Amino acid sequence: MMDNLKLAVFELTDCGGCALNMLFLYERLFDLLEFYEITEFHMATSLKVENHYDVALVTGTVSTQRDLNLLKEARNHSDYLIALGTCATHGSVQASVELPIREKLKAVYGDEGNPMRALDSKPVVEYVAVDFALPGCPYDKNEVYQVLLDIAKGVEPVKKDYPVCLECKLNEYECVLVKKGLPCLGPITYGGCNAVCVRSGLGCIGCRGPLPGEVNPAGEYEILKELGYDDKYIIRKFKTFARWEP
Amino acid sequence: MIIELHEFTRVEGNGKAEIIIDDGEVKDVRLKIIEGPRFFELLTLGRHYYDVPDLEARICAICYLSHSVASVLGIERALGVEVPEEIQLIRELGLIGELLESHALHLYLLVAPDVFGYPDAIRMATKHGELVKEGLALKSFGNRIRVMVGGREIHGINVKPGGFGRYPSVEELERVEKESEALLRLARRAVRLFAQLDPYGARAEHFVATDGYLWGEKLVSDEEGEFHYTERIEERSLVYSFAKQSRYKGEPFFVGALPRLLLKSEMLTPTAKRLFEEHREKLETGYVSYNNLAQAIELVYSLERAKEIAKVLLDRGIEGENVPVEAREGEGIGYVEAPRGVLIHHYRIDGNGNIAYSNIITPTALNHAMMEASLLEEARKLYGEAEERVMIQRLEETVRAFDPCISCSVHLVKL
Ligand code: SF4
Ligand code: SF4
Repeated sequence: MMDNLKLAVFELTDCGGCALNMLFLYERLFDLLEFYEITEFHMATSLKVENHYDVALVTGTVSTQRDLNLLKEARNHSDYLIALGTCATHGSVQASVELPIREKLKAVYGDEGNPMRALDSKPVVEYVAVDFALPGCPYDKNEVYQVLLDIAKGVEPVKKDYPVCLECKLNEYECVLVKKGLPCLGPITYGGCNAVCVRSGLGCIGCRGPLPGEVNPAGEYEILKELGYDDKYIIRKFKTFARWEP
Repeated sequence: MIIELHEFTRVEGNGKAEIIIDDGEVKDVRLKIIEGPRFFELLTLGRHYYDVPDLEARICAICYLSHSVASVLGIERALGVEVPEEIQLIRELGLIGELLESHALHLYLLVAPDVFGYPDAIRMATKHGELVKEGLALKSFGNRIRVMVGGREIHGINVKPGGFGRYPSVEELERVEKESEALLRLARRAVRLFAQLDPYGARAEHFVATDGYLWGEKLVSDEEGEFHYTERIEERSLVYSFAKQSRYKGEPFFVGALPRLLLKSEMLTPTAKRLFEEHREKLETGYVSYNNLAQAIELVYSLERAKEIAKVLLDRGIEGENVPVEAREGEGIGYVEAPRGVLIHHYRIDGNGNIAYSNIITPTALNHAMMEASLLEEARKLYGEAEERVMIQRLEETVRAFDPCISCSVHLVKL
């Protein structure tokens, strides 16, 4: 049997969700372990075996000097690096706080000093080249499973290229934008979550980031304006998970 | 001289500690929360209240639902909204799911390896696979409840001011009723196991909890009746930690499973109450390590209470009506018991329904001073008496007893 690929999970500043979500794969994680050996996973094991990784998953934003050092180490020691989750790909919620770092520190900690070397939060893709970017807050576990299988089999994983709307149609969910007037970002958001929030009868908040290409944010903007939402509200909503675009 | 405890592994988030030795004596301890700041208070400023609970959920993945519920409670109080019992019960059920998921992870996968002398759950499972499996069964049941109430396993958006996007179905509630009954046996076994542990860490002198079992209108302490956090709890910033440190009347205090039991035992369900009485003497010594035993008793409580709630909802039938919410000026505080203890969300809302002020205090921040006190006590006991390696191991266990947002490893095990 071939040697298993060395897999690492690195966690920068985040909520822990993208790392935890790997564990929520349950028994399918064991299927992955047919191909991979986990050699670094801070949240899951105290063991730290290798310093070369075939595949590195990096979650979170770069928000401190420590994060930046860790990211560079991960990049330097890995062949295939995946920015995993919206923090890593677009910055997610913490990157949408737009003040300069000193002002933020002052507002919350009452002091402009920065002894812990905090930085303005930015996604991983702003600092290093990544081999694949998989968004989602958190990402869909089926998707990461498929991506890791593809890589193990030597196939380049495919990016999703359709909006959440398509998944609503496939699931026959009632459109909350048209029927309820809820501010749903489904039309301009990366599909792949199976429209799980619309299943609850609520609007997509755009946690997978904006779908690039042919989609039409201007059109979405017009629809929301017609529904009575004001400019500031709409723009903030657009930028909450994706102030930075890869 | 400084002895460093390197970045804790098998924890949620990034933290470490320093033991400061001077003149051959342990002088001080610093618990450093080095996870970068995420500025949630600023993030929510100027946002419309409707969107805020979904954002606040992202503070923590392990207890996202506690954050959404605390956020919703703060907002509803600010807007003068009262929800009927049905909605309250469904929210409580969600919190119970989170408690089960989180306590099971902590007890079976993090603490149990210490009990049996293994470095992690992966190695422990070769000999104690049955136990690990039991933990996973409890954990995944808790997670299924989170999906039902919260909408997703992580960061669901179903909990809203005034109600829910979607209400649980009869079939889902029947399943909760059946499964909670079936799992009770496992939880009772956990209580027997964790009752055997010797005490370590400091003895807490002050305990704080919400006035209801899993949420409340106010806080209570062992010394006095109800109060708002602003009356007794002070926060200060530290140069060595991104988490602020809180004190109760100037002193370290303890929030979490043990304080809940000690302050609110009369609210427990029948079996949980019996188990509490059986171990009352031990628990009342106040050693922070008995938090583990308290969590095991709470597994029993959660299963019994989940069954009760499912039954009540099934008997009366679900109406599924949201309460209308209207924007107006106001101020409100939401108090919830997250698995690790008191969680506070405090907001002021302006006339347009936008957040004008927000303050959030998490249990790990509330316990920060108590964790340092425990580390100090344990380090003083062991320094010079035990090998450094042994001391460090015990200090990590001391931190772990607080369950400071720790997640774990065991799904890596082949069962
Ligand atoms: S992308 Fe979302 S779930 Fe993932 S780490 Fe960031 S905040 Fe957490
Ligand atoms: S529906 Fe939208 S908000 Fe919900 S998971 Fe999918 S992308 Fe994220």
